[in-house]
Amino acid sequence: MWRRVFEIFRKELRQALREPRMRIVLFVPPLIQLIVFGYAVNLDVNVARIAWLDMDHTAAARDLRAAFEGSGHFRILANPVSERDAQMLLDRGDVQAVIGVLPNFGRELDRGATAPVQVLVDGTDSNTASLISSYTTQVISGFAGRRMVNEQRAKLVASTMAAGTAVNPGAPSVDARTRVWFNPDLLSRNYFVPGVVVNIVALVTIMLTAMAIVREKEIGTMEQLMVTPVRPLELMLGKTLPFALAGFFEVALITGAALIVFGIPFRGSPLLLMACSALFLLSTVGVGLFVSTVSETQQQAVMGAFFFFAPAFMLSGFAFPIRNMPLAVQILSYLDPVRYFISIVRGIFLKGTGVAELWPHMLALLLYGTLILGASALRFHKRLD
Amino acid sequence: MSSASAVETLDLVKRFGDFVAVDRVSIAIARGEIFGFLGPNGAGKSTTIRMLCGLLTPTSGRATVGGFDVATQSEAIKRNIGYMSQKFSLYDDLEVEENIDFFGGIYGVRKQRLQERKDYVLRMAGLEDRRHSMTRELAGGWKQRLALGCAILHEPPILFLDEPTSGVDPIARRNFWDLIYRLSEAGHTVFVSTHYMDEAEYCRRLALMYGGRVIALGRPDELKRELGLRSMEDVFVELIGREERRAS
Amino acid sequence: MNLRRTRAVARKEFLHILRDPRSLALALAVPLFLLLLFGFGLTLDVDRIPTLVYDLDHTPASRELIARFDGSRYFDVRGYVDNYGAIERGIDRDQCLLAVVIPKGFARELDAGRRPAVQLILDGSDSNTASIARGYAESLLAGYGFDVQAGAVQRKGGIDLNAPVRPELRVLYNSRLESKNYIVPGLIAVILMIIAALITSLTIAREWETGAMEELLSTPLRPSELVLGKMAAFFTLGFVDVITSIAVGVLVFGVPLRGSPLLLMASSAIFLFGAMCQGILVSALARSQLLAYQIGMITSFLPGFLLSGFVYSIANMPPAIQVVTYIVPARYFITILKGIYLKGVGLDVLWGEVLFLIAFALLVFFVATRKMRQKVA
Repeated sequence: MWRRVFEIFRKELRQALREPRMRIVLFVPPLIQLIVFGYAVNLDVNVARIAWLDMDHTAAARDLRAAFEGSGHFRILANPVSERDAQMLLDRGDVQAVIGVLPNFGRELDRGATAPVQVLVDGTDSNTASLISSYTTQVISGFAGRRMVNEQRAKLVASTMAAGTAVNPGAPSVDARTRVWFNPDLLSRNYFVPGVVVNIVALVTIMLTAMAIVREKEIGTMEQLMVTPVRPLELMLGKTLPFALAGFFEVALITGAALIVFGIPFRGSPLLLMACSALFLLSTVGVGLFVSTVSETQQQAVMGAFFFFAPAFMLSGFAFPIRNMPLAVQILSYLDPVRYFISIVRGIFLKGTGVAELWPHMLALLLYGTLILGASALRFHKRLD
Repeated sequence: MSSASAVETLDLVKRFGDFVAVDRVSIAIARGEIFGFLGPNGAGKSTTIRMLCGLLTPTSGRATVGGFDVATQSEAIKRNIGYMSQKFSLYDDLEVEENIDFFGGIYGVRKQRLQERKDYVLRMAGLEDRRHSMTRELAGGWKQRLALGCAILHEPPILFLDEPTSGVDPIARRNFWDLIYRLSEAGHTVFVSTHYMDEAEYCRRLALMYGGRVIALGRPDELKRELGLRSMEDVFVELIGREERRAS
Repeated sequence: MNLRRTRAVARKEFLHILRDPRSLALALAVPLFLLLLFGFGLTLDVDRIPTLVYDLDHTPASRELIARFDGSRYFDVRGYVDNYGAIERGIDRDQCLLAVVIPKGFARELDAGRRPAVQLILDGSDSNTASIARGYAESLLAGYGFDVQAGAVQRKGGIDLNAPVRPELRVLYNSRLESKNYIVPGLIAVILMIIAALITSLTIAREWETGAMEELLSTPLRPSELVLGKMAAFFTLGFVDVITSIAVGVLVFGVPLRGSPLLLMASSAIFLFGAMCQGILVSALARSQLLAYQIGMITSFLPGFLLSGFVYSIANMPPAIQVVTYIVPARYFITILKGIYLKGVGLDVLWGEVLFLIAFALLVFFVATRKMRQKVA
């Protein structure tokens, strides 16, 4: 039996290595994804681009502007003179928000009344909008608080001088001391690059496995194989092992790049990573096999693989957090093997977690892999009908 | 069903939905015989062969190959037959020798024996100095012989060749039939399908298929004598004509 | 260009497609499925952040602060712990993203007029959510701090002070701040791109593989006719996808369509045409389907998804990458989509993007036909 598996394995390997495009397939997607996710994607909204519409022109308005500029969260890119100009800036997306100081701002403040400040935020990107709103509130709260304290101080000093007692005005407030674990600079790349490992492995193994088998169906050699004593299990093993190997190779390659080029921390056990990769590969290879059993042509295989891969990728927590999805969809994500491997990989890279914390995910992968391989094996028979 | 036959079928039927591809075929092939399966494209030849090889399940009827039942013992059959498909089914991106190694390994030919068989096949196909050539570079005739070689590495008693000569030049076809004769003399049973009528003469016995049914069965000279015709082609045209008239 | 020959090719392609029910179903059903799944499932809205609270003070002041976290839609207080170990475990197991630690003596410090520090511990591995969580948490603390200040000032001075400055917040275009309002329009682009490139690149590569292409090119058929004829069929399919996607976006997801539907369809058509020409170019270059697929994915799906501004804002990317995005047609289409859907702007604002799409489509068409011709010679 093993001889037959070996023969098929050797044939697949030879065919794959001879295919110059295989080398492209193994290297180019990882490279591209690493560049994109390692460098390009940056989710942080550190500095919001705003326009400042000052219709008051008093010292108070300028103080407010200084507060915004000094906060480190805002960059004033434009100073429109009319509401129409401001609207145009927002429509064109040149700025993310417009702070409008209305004409009687300074006077209202001096009177001790409440002076409104207009904040127009571009809501198209809701997270950014929320954050900008939060930052704005922060800055305005700070500004208001300081003004209030100063006024109080002035009033108290006046009344003290009148009453003759010393008063400690005191200005209590709350400070935030923020500690960020695992990723102190909150770099997007630390979040994404480990996910790229998962992505690439899934992409490569599912696609290549499915297409390799279907290609044989298309050129007719599959029929030839079916006539031989080779057993379905042997055929499956022989055909999938080379691509599983490719998967391991990718894990090593991308992890290496992540560590060396991008400086992504790796705090867990490499051995555990490899072991979990093996578990994950059970699933991806299984999916590739399954797709090949329901496809007659390579085009169908590609569409089938894509049909699985795109939702799996989107619902895996790679780019979109699962916890905020509707409950029904969250439940659906439990059926996604990619989800578990993403958690595992992030855990191993960033948190240094081990089997004690990751075993539920590992178990899920094992179950899933066994199920899908079993289903594929059932469908894989040596008959044409 | 007698065990002296290498291949026997009894009212073999294969239906695909409403379409009857093989309609009650009953034939018996003796050991060591070269049996021809003739007929136009779409007559049901490939389907019959596929059933005999265990690739398709018969809708009804029975068949045995080498004494094994095609419906229930297909794995045993596959160990004892060689099959060459219409498309020659070799791996274009493997070398000649690698294809041989692969099929030899799949059929479980012992290492030592495989070496001998490999040399034999390469000699038979005339590819000794081309063992490291890429299979895709071979011309049609060479591929054909290589494909045959790969099918006989494990010395199967029964060979199924599905249109092995299609798309090959006449001289290569003749040489190929020499090979088949030699195999038959060595004791192999050869079941060949073809749509070339002149090749009918080479078979010891043959069956003529049309529309899924066997419309003639016997030795070439017998058939010619019965109809008083000179060539198998004439026999063919005559019999098919009769079929068509009967149908209309 | 001979229209009759083009029509013949188009008719053949239509028949191919109609007779391959699987591919047909996939081409029509898959986009719909993806749209529904992602439209309902995908959200970038960060709220209900799982939070743990470690209160070392147990005073009304600390409880008031906790109540603010609890009452906020952004935080979902999952538990109250009494040691750091529980926080560690919670974060390690992905059970909480934020921990709020209120120090002992919190209320006392406040009464004395000092500034006690509240510790916020964040799981940085999900940097995006963590950033946002941090922003919200710090903002909440700032708000609390301000109220404490105001209260103290009031008590001390006996003066009734109004908050001097009050922000009047108006969120434009997406007043309920639902991320689906900008995800769904963007999804349309992504889906179209994928399908367009996929279908065209695969079918043509398959014809190369089976040798049918060589046969076609040996006829009087001109390469440009071949390209247009092939595209006619796929274009129709793709356009059906467009209409469906727009309808689903408006009817099922309630994403407002404030701009001109005509402009939307026209720009979609242009984009689709360009994407399909791209697919044809890819398959003219790649002889095998495997390669065609890979190239297609790399040049259409990935950039479309990642570099078009669909999810990740381009303004945040390093300058080098921003330059790259200028050649990603999806980028312009996304701008158009968001503009038409949410902002209700028209050609006066979007003319630049539309122009680029037209130019891109023509360019790729030209190159694709050129490539086809070269294959013959």
